[in-house]
Amino acid sequence: MRNPENAIVEVELPDDFDDFWAAGLADCASYPLDPVLTEMPSLSTEKVIVYDLRYTSYGGLRIAGWYTVPRERPAPHPALVTIPGYISEPTIPKKWSELGYATLAVAPRGKLRSNDVFNPGYPGLLTHNIVDHNTYGYRGFYLDVVRAVEVLLDRPEVDNLRIGLEGSSQGGGLGISTAALLPDVIRCVAAGAPYLCGIMTAPTLTRSYPYEEINEYLRVHPKDVDRVRETVAYYDGLNFAPKVRAPTLLYIGLEDDVCPPETGFALRRVLTCETTLHAYPHCAHHAGLPGVMRIVEDFLAEHLTPGR
Amino acid sequence: MNFDSYWSAVDEELATIPARPVLDLVPERTTDEATSYTVRLTSTGPYRVFGHLSIPAGDGPFPALLQTPRHGSVNLVPHPNDRSRYVVFGLTHRGQRLADEGFSAAYPGLLTMGIDDPASYIYRGIAADCLRAAEFLMSLDEVDPARVAVSGDDLAVLTAARRPGFSAVRVSGLLFYQATEARLKSSHYPLEELNDHLRAGSSAQIVADTLAYFDPVRHASAVTARTLLAVDDPDWCAALIEVLPAASVYKLTHLDGTDNDFLDAWLAELSGVPPMSKFLV
Repeated sequence: MRNPENAIVEVELPDDFDDFWAAGLADCASYPLDPVLTEMPSLSTEKVIVYDLRYTSYGGLRIAGWYTVPRERPAPHPALVTIPGYISEPTIPKKWSELGYATLAVAPRGKLRSNDVFNPGYPGLLTHNIVDHNTYGYRGFYLDVVRAVEVLLDRPEVDNLRIGLEGSSQGGGLGISTAALLPDVIRCVAAGAPYLCGIMTAPTLTRSYPYEEINEYLRVHPKDVDRVRETVAYYDGLNFAPKVRAPTLLYIGLEDDVCPPETGFALRRVLTCETTLHAYPHCAHHAGLPGVMRIVEDFLAEHLTPGR
Repeated sequence: MNFDSYWSAVDEELATIPARPVLDLVPERTTDEATSYTVRLTSTGPYRVFGHLSIPAGDGPFPALLQTPRHGSVNLVPHPNDRSRYVVFGLTHRGQRLADEGFSAAYPGLLTMGIDDPASYIYRGIAADCLRAAEFLMSLDEVDPARVAVSGDDLAVLTAARRPGFSAVRVSGLLFYQATEARLKSSHYPLEELNDHLRAGSSAQIVADTLAYFDPVRHASAVTARTLLAVDDPDWCAALIEVLPAASVYKLTHLDGTDNDFLDAWLAELSGVPPMSKFLV
C-alpha cells in the first residue's frame, strides 16, 4: 500500500544548477522582447479586451500568447500568467480578466502557435533531447514562461507589484520553476497537480502519460538512464522549490495517476516559502477540480487584490 | 439537406474512398502485454488521419475499444491498462497533431470552422474520420465482433449510431449536446467559440442549423449498444437519456479517481475483462 505523504522522492542538485539557468536567462536578455499586440475585436467582449501577443524568447524564437485585459476596470491591474498543461493549448483567459486580472495565457514553444521552429510533438516533448540538459526541449519552454512575465512587467496597465502565476499539471510545475527564476517579481503561485517534480521517481509510480514517455524511452535506450537522470535534475521542480519566495498554493489528488501524489508531497517538503497544500482523497489528476477553483480564486485575490 | 440525406452522403463518400491503412510497429510501446502500432488511413477529402493501435499479447480474439478524439490538439496515447485488455484504437482526427499534414486545427477556431454551411463544416469531416476508424477497427482479425466498444464525447454516440456492431458506448464530456443553450452559460472555451463567431456577425439560426446535424439527441435512437452516460447534471441531459434505447447514467462525483474507476469497471464488465485502476496501489 502506498504512503504518498511519507514516500522518499529524491533528486540530486547539479553543482552548476544556478549557473545553468543564469546562462539561459542571459541568453533571453540578449534579445529584445519586442512584444507585438494585436487587438482581436471578434474575440473581445463587453468586459474583456483580447489581444494576440507575440514576443521573443530564448534562442530568439517568437512565442505566442493570448493577452486579456479587463475593459471596465481602471488600470493598473494585477496580472496573471496562466501556464498550459502538457497536452492542452492555452485558451483565451477571459474568465480571469472578468475577475479583474490582466492575464497572459502563454503558448510556450511547441504549442500550436509557437511551433514554427521547435515542434517536438506530443508525445515527444518530455523526452526531446532528454540525454543532454543543454539542448533538452524543456529548456526554452521553461524560459518562455519567464519571458511571459517580463512582457507583463513592461505593460503600462499592469501593476508590477501584483503579478502571479496560475496553472495545473505542467502549468503547476512551471509555476514553481518560474517563481524560482523570478523570486523578486512573482507575488503568488497557484499550482495544481504539479508535474515535473520528482521526474525520475514519478515514472516508477505510474504507467500514465506523460511520464510513461520516459518509461518508453528507457525501454529502447536502457543505457541512457544515467544521462536522463542527469538532464532532468536541471528541470526538476524539487530543485527549483527552495528558491521560491512567493506564497504558494498547492492542490493535489491522492489518487493522481498522472502526477503521483508522492511528488506533490515531496514538493511541499522542499518549499521554504509560505505554502498551503490541499490534498484531495479519491481525486486523480483533476486534484479537486472543479470545486478547488474557488480556493484558487480566493488565494489569488488575497495576494493580488483585483479591484483594489 | 435533411438529416438523413446529410449523413447518407457522408457514408456514400466514405464508401468510395479506400482506407489503405498503413501500420508501423512502435518498439518503445511494445511490451509483454501488447504490441503497438501507429496507423495512417484515408478518410473523406481524401485526407490521411492517424491513430494509435494496440493489440494484446496472446490468442485472440479480444474485446475492442475505439477511442474517439477529444476536442483539443492532442489525444493521449491509449493507456497501458487498456492496451493490455483491448484491441484499442485511439483516433486522431484531421487537423490534430499527428494528422496535421495539410491542415492544422486552431484552438480556438476548430469548433466554428466552416460552421455557416453544414456541407463545409469541419466536423462533417471529423465525423467521417470517426466512422472510418470504426470500420478499420472492426475489420481486424484480432477483434471479437461481439465485444466492440466506443468511448468518447458526442462523436462516440454519432459513431455508434451510424456503424452497427458496437456492443457498448461510454460517453463523457458532451460538446454538441444543447450547445446553443450551453454557450450562454459561461465564457469558457470551446463553447465560447460559438459566442465569438456570432459576435463576428454570423447568424445564430444558421449556426444552430449546422449544429443540429451533430446533436447527439438526433443520433441517439439509432444506437443499439448498451450506453453509459457520465454527466454532471442528469436533469440537463434528460433529453438525451430519454432517447438512448439502452442508456444508464452515472452522475460524476468529481472525485475523479472514483469516477475513472467506475467508468473503467463498467466497460470491463461488459467486455469480459478485469477492471483496472490507473492509480497503482
